[in-house]
Amino acid sequence: MLRHTLQRLLLVLPVLFGVLLVGFLLMQVVPTDPAQVRAGPTATQDVVEAIRQELGLNEPLWKQFLIYIGRLAQGDLGVSIINNVPVSQELGNTIGPTLELMVASLIWAIPLGMLLGTIGAYYRGSLLDRAIMAVSVAGVSLPVFFLGLGLIWLFGFKYPILPFTGRTGPLWTWEGIQGIIMPAITLGGVFVGPVARMTRTSVLDELGADHVRTARAKGLGEVTVLLRHTLRNALVPVVTLIGLQIGFLLGGAVVTETVFSWPGIGRLAVGAILSSDLPMAQGTIIVLSLGFILINLAVDVLYAVLDPRVRGA
Amino acid sequence: MSSVSDPLQQNLPPVAVARRVSVLRMLLSDVGACIALALVVLAVLGAAFAPWLSPTDPYGNDLANTLKPPGEFGLLGTDGQGRDMITRLLFGLRTTLLMGLASVVIGGLIGGVIGFAAAYYPRLSGLLMRLMDVLLSFPAILFGLAIAAIFGPGLPAVIIALAIATIPLMARVVRGSALVVLQQGYIEAARSLGLGDLHIILRYVLPNCLSAIFVFVTLRFGQVILLGAALSFLGLGAQPPTAELGAMAADGRNFLFFAPHVSVLPSIVIFVIVLAFNVLGDALRDALDPKLRK
Repeated sequence: MLRHTLQRLLLVLPVLFGVLLVGFLLMQVVPTDPAQVRAGPTATQDVVEAIRQELGLNEPLWKQFLIYIGRLAQGDLGVSIINNVPVSQELGNTIGPTLELMVASLIWAIPLGMLLGTIGAYYRGSLLDRAIMAVSVAGVSLPVFFLGLGLIWLFGFKYPILPFTGRTGPLWTWEGIQGIIMPAITLGGVFVGPVARMTRTSVLDELGADHVRTARAKGLGEVTVLLRHTLRNALVPVVTLIGLQIGFLLGGAVVTETVFSWPGIGRLAVGAILSSDLPMAQGTIIVLSLGFILINLAVDVLYAVLDPRVRGA
Repeated sequence: MSSVSDPLQQNLPPVAVARRVSVLRMLLSDVGACIALALVVLAVLGAAFAPWLSPTDPYGNDLANTLKPPGEFGLLGTDGQGRDMITRLLFGLRTTLLMGLASVVIGGLIGGVIGFAAAYYPRLSGLLMRLMDVLLSFPAILFGLAIAAIFGPGLPAVIIALAIATIPLMARVVRGSALVVLQQGYIEAARSLGLGDLHIILRYVLPNCLSAIFVFVTLRFGQVILLGAALSFLGLGAQPPTAELGAMAADGRNFLFFAPHVSVLPSIVIFVIVLAFNVLGDALRDALDPKLRK
């Protein structure tokens, strides 16, 4: 398993390099001179030149790239053009809320999706199964913002019982929980469908397997057969597929954060791009990509833990 | 090889023609698929003939009649600038569908070439498919953010991002089905006749991969529309005053409480069209996959 993990790690390196290169090139296409921006509009030519030297802007591109990586390694992602706040500080403030939102969404969406998928597979072909599949196809087709705006209209305006603008407090307080309910329903809502579909396919495969027939022949109860002999094996592909769907979740998170003014990294990224704050945009994109690479890696390793066949390899 | 006598003269063996008929019959026997197909045709026609169907000018303001609810002014009311919602929806649908079409065609062509190359030339396969894995490891939204940051927000940025996100998916689908086709006897026969690589790929491999490609493209179209609308909703796609369904939904956020129809109508149109593509794609896959046939 260690070997498997190391192999995956080695594969990550070129991807990481690619992400950093894109981030670096992003800063190269900026029409404005970063030295001029740092020096301010009234600075003399000498001052700008001094800053150019200091930032290494007169060096060849490959050397600048190395300087850039060195700075990244120290956590220096530059300074926002708009409000002069260090990008790393802003990122630190927004990662927490984004993770909060994702966890709050997955914590109910994955179990519900698995439950629906298992029920659908067990009663396959029945009206119940078809209803579950219809709902999940509809869920996959629903624009995230539609669900979000619909909830805001319903529970923020028609029956104003829940807040819908921003994070209303830490999660351990009642205000904080109230504030995350609607965003979590929105983001989780579009995730139930895919999870249900994946679980159903996976459980269907397992239900026809020999060991399930044997388990039934032994006289085990249906619940035991379903949970211990079917769902447990079916989990392996489901975990992988959920890992692959994290990108889908991220896309939903960016939209959900925008709809609910949730102070997360997705909203920060969109705001930075719309206001042409390139250092900030670059920082958010690099952090999101890194997060993504890490999640993929974690899913790969988890896959090995769950599936003994991969573990041995 | 025993199957050298495969009918090389014909583009498709007769079995394939018979299969195509039965696929169509199977598709039409599925009520959901029929409705989905009808909706897709309707949407395409509506988008194509938007300039002739629309009662008014999509970009002409009428500030005396802003935010009229459906039924009061025009059949579906007006938006924040007094523009007729039916007109805006038709033109919005046009932009959204064109955006989806452009990204699926561009990404599909590039991905298709890569997929065929990887299947046909095993030596290229490792490199190309690793490259595809790298692209695949990033979600479409990240391409959307990065490209909008580089080139500035706009429809071209969204199309490029969605095309890039489509490339690895298409390459995988094409390579997978081309590898199966390449095992067939008629390919062996074509090779032994000394036909060129391009000729074999275009005449014998491609036609036999079409069903897999068709299913993929149908499903992908729905996803791309959903993603593109989301990017436009965020302000990274179509810029005002361009009518685009996602951007229109975002515009309506400002009047959500007193004129919800401005947001809701374009959202419903996106939902219905994406649902139609998803249902149609699923039905096509079931009809074309012999394993699932009763």
